[in-house]
Amino acid sequence: MIFKVKRLFIVVIALQIVFLLGLVGYRETILAVGRTAILQTVPVDPRDLFKGEYVTLRYEISNLGSTQVNQGSKIYRLLGEVNNGDTVYVALSNIDGDESSLDVQTDEPSGRTDLFIKGKVGTKNSDVITVEYGVEQYFIPEGRGLEIEQAEEVEVRVKINRSGIAAIEALIVDGQDWKP
Amino acid sequence: MTSETPNNDSAQDDGEIFERSEIISTVQSDSRQSWLKGRINLWRESGLITDDQSESIINFEAAPEDPIRLGIRFSRLIVVLSTLGAILIGAGIISFIAANWQGIPVIAKLALLIGGQTATYWVAYQFQFVRGYPRVGGAIMFAGAAWFGANVFLVARRYHLSTDNPDLLIWWFIGVLPLAYIAKSKAITVMAVGIFVVGISWKTASETDNSVSGLLVTAILLFAGAAIYSIGLAHLQRASTKFFAAPYLVGGALLTIVVTYMFTFDEVVKDYSRNSSVNISEMSGGYIALAAIVSVITLVSLVMTNWTSIRSEKRPSARLLEPAIITLTVIAGWFIAIHTFESAALYVVVFNLLLVIQILGIIALGVINKREAFVNIGIVFFVIDLSTRYIELTVDMLDTSLAFIVGGLLLLGVGYGMERARRRLLRQFGMMKVTQ
Repeated sequence: MIFKVKRLFIVVIALQIVFLLGLVGYRETILAVGRTAILQTVPVDPRDLFKGEYVTLRYEISNLGSTQVNQGSKIYRLLGEVNNGDTVYVALSNIDGDESSLDVQTDEPSGRTDLFIKGKVGTKNSDVITVEYGVEQYFIPEGRGLEIEQAEEVEVRVKINRSGIAAIEALIVDGQDWKP
Repeated sequence: MTSETPNNDSAQDDGEIFERSEIISTVQSDSRQSWLKGRINLWRESGLITDDQSESIINFEAAPEDPIRLGIRFSRLIVVLSTLGAILIGAGIISFIAANWQGIPVIAKLALLIGGQTATYWVAYQFQFVRGYPRVGGAIMFAGAAWFGANVFLVARRYHLSTDNPDLLIWWFIGVLPLAYIAKSKAITVMAVGIFVVGISWKTASETDNSVSGLLVTAILLFAGAAIYSIGLAHLQRASTKFFAAPYLVGGALLTIVVTYMFTFDEVVKDYSRNSSVNISEMSGGYIALAAIVSVITLVSLVMTNWTSIRSEKRPSARLLEPAIITLTVIAGWFIAIHTFESAALYVVVFNLLLVIQILGIIALGVINKREAFVNIGIVFFVIDLSTRYIELTVDMLDTSLAFIVGGLLLLGVGYGMERARRRLLRQFGMMKVTQ
C-alpha cells in the first residue's frame, strides 16, 4: 500500500511542477513567437509590501470611447455593444495600412485587422470603457520606481500571440531598453 | 488507503481522536484527583491509613497521568516547532530568491524555486512515510504546500502578470488539495479550504461589477458556502474521510453566514440590484450554469449524507436540521439570484430571517454534535447581528451618545448572558475546563 501512496504522491508533485513549467512555457512562447507592438504608457509608482515594488502602467488604449473616440491621431471605432466583463479585441494595426481608424470589437477579428490585442472591459461609464490587457503591472527592483516615474517618455514593448494575448517583453525609458 | 503504511495516520487520525479524548479524560481525572486527595486526607485524619500509606496511594494514582499529559504537550510542541521551522526555512529561501530576483538568471530561478519545492516534498515524504516521524513530516509537507503557492505567485511576478488575481489562489488550491488527502494532513486541508474560500470570495468581488449579474454572482458564493458545508457532511459519513470534515464544515458555515449577513443590508441589495437584470433571459448563461452546478453539488452531497443518516439512530431533529437549513439557504439564494422582484425590502426580510435560522441552527448543531467551534461561530454572529440591527434601528431614533450608552449596556448584558449560556452548553459536553 505504501507504493500506492508513493505513486499518488509522486503524481501530485509532478502535476504541480508541470503546472508551474506550463505557466512558464506559455509565457515564454508568447515572448518568443509573438508579434511585437510598442505601446505608449503613463506609469505610476505604487508600492506594495506583499508584492514588492512595481509600476502600474496605463496605456493610450486603456480608456476607449463607448462609440468612437479620438486617441491622438487615431480613431477607435466600437463595433457592437460591450458590457462590463466582456472580452474585447482592440486593433493595433490594419492590413490595408489605414492605421488612423482602428476597431474595437467583441468577436475575434479577421479580415482587415492585422494586429490586435485582447482585453477585458473593467468598467463602463456613459461614454468611456476601461479595458485591461493583462500588461498593467511591471515588477521592478526595490527603490527604482522613481527612475521610471520621472522619465520623459515611457513605452512598453509587448509580444502578442495569435489569440491577442500580450506579454511584456521590455520597458523602454526615454528611448532605451530599461535594465532592471 | 494509507491504513497499511508504517506510522501512518489513520494512526494520525486515531491519534487526533485519541488526543481529544485524552484531553477530556485529563480534565476529568483532574477533578478525580482532587476528590481522591480530599478523601485520602480524610481517611488519614480519621486514622484509617497512615501518612506513608496516604502518600503511596496518591503517588500510585498520580503516576500514570504524567506521561499522558507530557505526551500530549510534547506532541503539540513537536507539531508547532516543526511547522515553524519548516516555514522559516522555506520563507528564508524564497525571500533570498525574491531579494536577488533580478540578478539570478531565469533558468536558475526556476531551478531554485521548483527544486526547493520538490526537495521539501521529498524530505517530508521521507519523514512521514519512510522514517516514521509523521508529525515532523506533516509539518514539512505543509511547508511544501505553502512553497507551491509562493511559486505560483513568483512565476506570475516573473512574467509581470497581475498578482491581484484570484485565479492564482484557485490554482494553488487545486494543487494542494489532493496532497491533503494523500498525506492525511488536517493542516493542509485547512490551508486548501481557506485558500479556496478566500479565492472564490475575491473572484466574486471582482466579478460583481458585471452589469447584468451582480446578485447572481454573489448568490453563487452563497451556494458555494452551502456546497462546501455539504461536502464536509459527506466526509463525515465514512470513517476514512471523517478526519477531513471539520475544515469544510467550518469554512462552509462561515462563508454561508457571511454572505447571508451581506444580503441583510438594504443598501447592499439595492447596490447589486441596480445593475442586475430583472429578466432572467438577459443574465449570463455561464453564471446561471455555474449556480446550477454548485446547487446540484450541494443537494447531491446532502442526499448522499442523509441516505446514510436515515439508517442512523440519531433523533429526527438532529438528522433533519442541517439539510433543512442548507436547503433553505439554496432556495433563498435562487430567490435573490433570479432577482424576481425589484424591491429590495423583500430580500432583506428573507435574508434576515435566514440569518437568524442559520445562527440558531449552528448553535443547536454545535450542542447536538458536540462541535465547540460551531457554538462559538454562532455566538459571535449572534452578537454581530444583534449589534448591527441595534445600530440600524437607533441611528435615526436616539441621540448618538445615548445610543452608544444604551448599546454598550445592552452588549455587556448580552455578552454576560451569552458567556453564561456558552459555559452551560460546553459543560454539557464536558469541555468546560479545556475551553474556559
